[in-house]
Amino acid sequence: MNQQQFERAVQELRAGKEDIRPSDVVVYSEPLRSSLTQAIRLGRISLTDFSKLLEVERTQAQQLIALLVERHLFYVSAFTSPTDTYYETRLSASTRPMTRLRPDVWKKIDD
Amino acid sequence: MSKIVSVHSFRGGTGKSNTTANLASLLAMGGARVGVVDTDIQSPGIHILFNLDESEMGHSLNDYLWGKCAIKDCAHDVTGHLGTQVKGQIFLIPSSIKAGEIARILREGYDVGLLNDGFRDVVTEMGLDYLMIDTHPGLNEETLLSIAISDALVIIMRPDQQDYQGTAVTVDVARKLDVPKMLMIVNKVPQAFDLDDVRSRVEQTYKVTVTAVLPHSDEMMTLASSGIFSLKYPDHPVTQGYKAVVAELQR
Repeated sequence: MNQQQFERAVQELRAGKEDIRPSDVVVYSEPLRSSLTQAIRLGRISLTDFSKLLEVERTQAQQLIALLVERHLFYVSAFTSPTDTYYETRLSASTRPMTRLRPDVWKKIDD
Repeated sequence: MSKIVSVHSFRGGTGKSNTTANLASLLAMGGARVGVVDTDIQSPGIHILFNLDESEMGHSLNDYLWGKCAIKDCAHDVTGHLGTQVKGQIFLIPSSIKAGEIARILREGYDVGLLNDGFRDVVTEMGLDYLMIDTHPGLNEETLLSIAISDALVIIMRPDQQDYQGTAVTVDVARKLDVPKMLMIVNKVPQAFDLDDVRSRVEQTYKVTVTAVLPHSDEMMTLASSGIFSLKYPDHPVTQGYKAVVAELQR
């Protein structure tokens, strides 16, 4: 992930306040989108592995994860050790009613 | 490592529940611990294939979604219902077949995220090798979420123009959500069709490998969901097709 991609990823994660559901990630740019789909299927990922996955510096990975935690897609796992922080992906983001779907998800699929 | 497998079709009546039940049974025959979740909450039916009577149901998926019980409490061991010796185990999480409960869930909705958290919990707590999700046909947020967390997606279609168009949408969604393994089944192919020709046309259309082309079967129609086809007809061409899908899932 180059600097431009990183800045775009930060911008995308900052846009919006609602929780991110696993299916919402289709709207994000690469390589954020594919890294998140992978992390979601893994269920648990360390900060080290997340930074490797995105090919970013650890501090940049921390910045992205902070936003993912803020929007409740990630939370700190009980597996966290003194040497590394582990995160788990939350599937139950539910800050919006089921009757109100994200229209941009469907638009992205149609594009 | 456990695998979550979603079984989906864009349109109804493609044989989704039948296929899910057969794949689950063959996996269990091979020694696996398999969970099957009926997420077709609006029109549940897979419990019939496993001979689970309403009186035996106790808790259903609806109860979990309403916070009345843990998802593990909705899992029924139906291994003994298969009527044959099975090395592994099958646990069915049925949806309620009570009209009032179906109507309530349609009226009030439910948190699909909670459903997906439940999938993860049941895999861990019950030590499952596979969790098969029998989805509702069509596309909604629930389907998107199921696909987003699945390790494999089995897409079923019939050789029908309506299915062709709808299936393209499902394939597209699966690609955008990076499903690691996509398996296509063409089901209920009329005997008059050339199976290889059907396979080739479908593969060209979607650029996906077709894992099985299953011919229309009078035996399947006659069985009429009163049991698991592949256990009753182990050498039938349809069963061979199911076995090919199972082999891919195990890979």
